[in-house]
Amino acid sequence: MIKIENLTFRYRESEEPALHDINLTIPDGTFVGVTGAAGSGKSTLTYALNGIIPHCYPGDFYGSVTVEGKDTCEVNLTDLSCVVGSVCQDIDSQMVASIVEDEVLYGLENFGVPHDEIPARVDQALADMGIADLRDRMIASLSGGQKQKVAIAAILAMNPKVLVLDEPTAELDPASSLSVFRLLERYARQHGTTVVVVEQKIALMAQFADMLVIMEHGGIRYAAAPAEVLAHSDDLLRIGVNCPRVTTLVNRLRADGVYAGPACRNVEEARDAVLEVLA
Amino acid sequence: MNKFLEYVPGDSLLHRMNPTAKLLAAMVFAIMCFCTSNLVILVAALVIGLVLARSCGMMRQTAGLMKAVAVFSIILAILLVFTTPAGAVLVPLPWGYIGTGSLIAAVTMIIRLEAAAIPLFLVFYVTKMTDMANAAVKNLHVPYKYAFTFMSTVHFIPVFMNDMKAIMEAQTSRGVRFDEGGLANKVRLMVPLCVPLLVSSVRKTNSAAIAAEVRGFNLRTRACGYKEYPFAGADIATLVASVALLVVAIAL
Repeated sequence: MIKIENLTFRYRESEEPALHDINLTIPDGTFVGVTGAAGSGKSTLTYALNGIIPHCYPGDFYGSVTVEGKDTCEVNLTDLSCVVGSVCQDIDSQMVASIVEDEVLYGLENFGVPHDEIPARVDQALADMGIADLRDRMIASLSGGQKQKVAIAAILAMNPKVLVLDEPTAELDPASSLSVFRLLERYARQHGTTVVVVEQKIALMAQFADMLVIMEHGGIRYAAAPAEVLAHSDDLLRIGVNCPRVTTLVNRLRADGVYAGPACRNVEEARDAVLEVLA
Repeated sequence: MNKFLEYVPGDSLLHRMNPTAKLLAAMVFAIMCFCTSNLVILVAALVIGLVLARSCGMMRQTAGLMKAVAVFSIILAILLVFTTPAGAVLVPLPWGYIGTGSLIAAVTMIIRLEAAAIPLFLVFYVTKMTDMANAAVKNLHVPYKYAFTFMSTVHFIPVFMNDMKAIMEAQTSRGVRFDEGGLANKVRLMVPLCVPLLVSSVRKTNSAAIAAEVRGFNLRTRACGYKEYPFAGADIATLVASVALLVVAIAL
């Protein structure tokens, strides 16, 4: 479980806190989508979860963040990394090897995974991300999307209990983004992994996440099930978060009193809502 | 041509050899080139280098290297011709003369640099950088931090070159003319771009350090490496041959 209590963090070089008064509890195995306007504190929230703050970026840290029973301030970054796998925003910087297989091996070697387990772990991670055919490819020759998948596979190979991803589909087209989310969801369900994804693509997150967290000016505006959050589409638009068009459409029907069901997350749910209204 | 120090895949003997053996043999070979002025041995060394390049399908890349080394070594050779009066006088100079010995010294210098560079160049292009670093840790007991530093440095060179290219393209789209006025003008226009490149480099380096740390970099020991790098017969034979060449070069 992840528990954030009264978290406020201000970077040393900044006047304003990047995060303030954050309270959030994420049960084990939950798929969480975090979004918000630029500068709303999304990435800083991921840094709080994987211990990068306060261990790497100095600043004023108040409150507590507990991940799987470990207080992120009290354990060092390496110990925390045994539990939390992180995929950073800058994929090129994250890569340490020149070949895909070596990149996946890196974390396994460092964490001292028994050598007889390593081949199966590498095979599984590559298969989970659908990139088994890229195993011997040079990383420099891969597309941005393929690099993203390699970066995620390298983390999945370590079997983390918590997976924190900062914009993992930033360089992907819609079809590839959908594929990555499907793979992540399937992996999380199979392994009971808690997944926290920061993304701008709210439609995707609404489709896959159990909980949506909407950030605004360093605070949490909403943290609830997607249907509950999407019911506030007008307010979301005001703070810079664009809801899917079908959500806006159904919310208008709700506002006009024509439809009494929940906010919809995708075209199928919107179709059902419209059919219900027409009936 | 591949990017700087980017691995060229292949299945030649040179590709398959132990990375440590390859590196040590290439270094001994380079030292050998600097330990002798015997033109026959140096020409033989150059031929050996070209045969090696041919064996691993790297003739085109090696030709590129030879051109680059030639430019540098010709400058040195010209200096040598004018500053090393030796042998029969060919052209008298106010401070000495250009002699037959000067010309031989200049030619020797060019061949020496070419012969020394080729095996090292080949080793870096036919060996994955990860294997090079891991083998150095396993076989030579080099601390992993140093091996990783070397690996990261090489890894980031093309990344920073891409960044510089992107910055230059951004400047070009805003009207900066890098393609006019020759090399001096290009350098003058590039100097101010070093600041954003430096900022971006520091940021990327910091991100890389964090990314390595969250993947257990600090836990790494010599025993952690998954791949083993045993010495085969060809590796030992290559090392013995390179040392023998060194001994011959010193003796003659």
